[in-house]
Amino acid sequence: MNEAALSLKQRFKLSRFFTGEAPTQGPIVLTQRRVFILPTRRGLAFVLLILLLVLIGFVYNNNLAYLLGFLLASIFFVTILHSFKALAGLTIQPARQQAVFAGQAGPFNFQISNPGSQPRFALDLALQSELSISLAAEQTQTITLYQSTPHRGWLLPGTLTLSSTYPLGLFRAWAPLRFDSPLLVYPKPASKLLPFPDSDGGQDKPGQNRRRGDEFEGVRVYQRGDAIRQIHWKAFAKGQGVHSKHYSGASASELWLDYQQAPGHHTEERLSQLCRWVVDAEQTGLRYGLVLPGLRLPPDNGAAHYRNCLQALALF
Amino acid sequence: MPFLPSTRLMLFMLGSIGLITLPHAWHIPPVLFSFFTLLLLWRLLSIWQPRYLPNRFGVFLLMLLGIGLLYSQQHSVFGRDAGTSLFVVALGLKLLEIHGRRDVYVIVYLAFIVAVTQFLYEESILMALYILLVCGVLLATLITQNSHTPQTLAALKTSAAIILQSLPLALVLFVLFPRLEAPHWSWLDDDIHAKSGLSNTLEPGSIAELSLSPELVFRVKFDGELPPPAQRYWRGPIYASTDGVSWRAPPVLGRENNPDQPTFSDPSYAYTLMMEPQKQNWVFALEMPTEFGGGLRRNGLYQLITNKNPGDRAEYQISSSPSYNSGGISKTERKENLQLPGKPSDRVVELVKQLQGKQARPELFIGNLLQHFRQENFHYTLSPEAMPDKPIETFLFERRAGFCGHYATAFVYLLRVAEIPARVVGGYQGGQINEVGGFLEIRQADAHAWAEAWLEGRGWVRFDPTAAIAPERIERGVNVDLQIASGAVNFSPVQLDAKTLSWLQRGRQLWQSVDYNWQRWVINYDTVNQKAFLQSLGIDNFVKLGYWLVISVAGIGGVVAWRLLRPNRRRQDPALRLYRQFCAKFAKAGLSIEIGDGPQTVAERAKKLRPDLAEAIERITALYIRLRYQADSEAGDLQVLKKLVARFRV
Repeated sequence: MNEAALSLKQRFKLSRFFTGEAPTQGPIVLTQRRVFILPTRRGLAFVLLILLLVLIGFVYNNNLAYLLGFLLASIFFVTILHSFKALAGLTIQPARQQAVFAGQAGPFNFQISNPGSQPRFALDLALQSELSISLAAEQTQTITLYQSTPHRGWLLPGTLTLSSTYPLGLFRAWAPLRFDSPLLVYPKPASKLLPFPDSDGGQDKPGQNRRRGDEFEGVRVYQRGDAIRQIHWKAFAKGQGVHSKHYSGASASELWLDYQQAPGHHTEERLSQLCRWVVDAEQTGLRYGLVLPGLRLPPDNGAAHYRNCLQALALF
Repeated sequence: MPFLPSTRLMLFMLGSIGLITLPHAWHIPPVLFSFFTLLLLWRLLSIWQPRYLPNRFGVFLLMLLGIGLLYSQQHSVFGRDAGTSLFVVALGLKLLEIHGRRDVYVIVYLAFIVAVTQFLYEESILMALYILLVCGVLLATLITQNSHTPQTLAALKTSAAIILQSLPLALVLFVLFPRLEAPHWSWLDDDIHAKSGLSNTLEPGSIAELSLSPELVFRVKFDGELPPPAQRYWRGPIYASTDGVSWRAPPVLGRENNPDQPTFSDPSYAYTLMMEPQKQNWVFALEMPTEFGGGLRRNGLYQLITNKNPGDRAEYQISSSPSYNSGGISKTERKENLQLPGKPSDRVVELVKQLQGKQARPELFIGNLLQHFRQENFHYTLSPEAMPDKPIETFLFERRAGFCGHYATAFVYLLRVAEIPARVVGGYQGGQINEVGGFLEIRQADAHAWAEAWLEGRGWVRFDPTAAIAPERIERGVNVDLQIASGAVNFSPVQLDAKTLSWLQRGRQLWQSVDYNWQRWVINYDTVNQKAFLQSLGIDNFVKLGYWLVISVAGIGGVVAWRLLRPNRRRQDPALRLYRQFCAKFAKAGLSIEIGDGPQTVAERAKKLRPDLAEAIERITALYIRLRYQADSEAGDLQVLKKLVARFRV
């Protein structure tokens, strides 16, 4: 609504019709600036039909044939307005994006809301995946569309195209939208299962042998960062609050994952291997630290630490 | 992805196609219509039993069958009947082959073409409304196809809205789109289907047959006064040569250049005559037509002939004068109108002598003859007994009961025996006044036959022997409804009293009036009418027409767009509206208000920004919360809030 006005040059830039305007962060309200309409092939066939009807009217001097032809012609025009109405007023904004590993389908979440009292019977949404929905009046819906994630790092969604052929399929109204709502893509975890590297973060024993000790040390009150598998579910079920179990070996087996130690011919391979280790270490419940050139994350475990490590790898 | 049309879509589509084709049951050969119905039912059944659908080979065989049937019934693909049959059969076959969304469109578009072919058979207002409704269902089919979650009622409502929004533009296009006279393509002609009406021969019972038909023949709207009922003779064919039983029209060749043009004297009546589709190219003008527009000519028998296709409805501007003098008569003409089917019998000669034929002046003899009809026991009846042998004599001397045809032929016969040139004139007499539309309706039941005699110094003069027997036939006209209901002669009064006019009749007249205007302004809106109408608007060339088209299309388009696209906001709660004004005032002052912030949050932040306004902020927020979220708000609260917000300055 309070978007900056377009200059004349921007207004007639061809890319505006297909890839959309420059990415924005906020919600976009679909107005005549965003919505474009062109007849479909069926619409062009409809024009031929109209011409045929008028021709029949001419040949047979039949005024009702003319009238039906003209009625269809004005239906054709009125449908342009209805096509615009199918999209106009919708508000789309990016929702919270969830990070993924490279190679997985990247889910982009959008929130689409229909503020008016008019239901929308057919909306097609396309990123790289496609989706058809309908929205009742004053309804808001969160939708997820996917895009391939070939590389690690921030990934901006491509052009989200909202389109509709409602009501008659003679016209397609579409709105190409670009949002500045990036998705974090972690490196793709290496597929080879390599043993953990030797710890060099102060410990003398190689990390891969430092598996979690078998000896149960005790239970302490849950702290943020404790692995979910350590939670003492039985106590929780008894209503004693959330506690996590600790094992005697755990404190000793700190694992350092070092960029320098990761095997690989180039950066991406190394990061990929580090990523694999981070995933495995988190799964096994080890405490692990990450060392990258210029960055050192002290050993820890838990969801927040896990995310920090993966983010560091993604943005390295 | 295989396309599976939903049951709803199929029902919509098959329903509208069934409706759109239905009226063709009366138009195309029954074999073809049955074939189509079979295909439609087959497809309907297959909605629930898809395995009954024919495969590609089956469809191919059915197509061959369809082509065979078409060929056997029509022998051609051109022309109205053949073209219609072709489209109907194609539509039926296409129904069995729905593999994608494209096919749905092909079917719907074909259905629109079939809808137009209906208008080639019937152009009534009812048919137009019917087709309009079915087109609504066809559009709803397309809407269903294009909806993600289709709803039957919503689809029908949307299609109705689209049609209503489109009608004004369609009407403007209809009025302004230039009508060009299409050349007449003879290969498009179909046989004119048997229509009743007067013909070239007058058989003894031919007019009595028509007297039971309420079929409209033509309508007349007079520019000024109506002529009195006794002068409402609508002239048709002339019957001059007879074999004693039937009467035939004389050859009209070579009569066009009759040296003696008739002379007319006042008064004259100007009127618009609208002919319904006819078999013959005759136009039944009021006796005698003096002036007539293009497309008409008057033959040597003073009958108007049109050069338009008589199968089309057509409108003519004519002036007639009831007093005329046709002038002299040529030798051939005299001979032709004295022709007798043989020597008259003794009793005929005796009768003529008795009525002073040949001895007295012709006028006197004619007067005597009419007197004879009146005084002797002659009757006027719709269903006389059959008189197969010597009908005229049998009628005159034995039965003495007959219809107008009997009287006119007997009258002419006796005049001819008395050596007065005479002939029978066919046409219509009278007509019923449509009170609503102010025009005369002339039906087949008004068919009439009268006589014409040539008198020295006066030319051809009309005599109606029926008027002597049944003057009310001429004065009042035929009561069509009653006559048809009872099968007997019936006459109705001239001017129906408004009170005695039954509702039924009134309704019928109203309907006839609507129909007349429909025919006049919609069906008959041709090159000539359009030109006249546009000139009355000041449009006399194509450039102006172009301006008008552009301006009116843009204007109507603008109005429709405004109606459609104006934001249809829900009526806001007044408290919310006032509160938003309050927030907007703060937003201007730099307070950031996020969507989802509660009024309390906003108030806290606002107080931090402007501690000096804390009291007003609190009052407004409290009032708003009470109005919007609490049940105990008072009637005055809203007014207070309004005042506070209005007075509030940041």
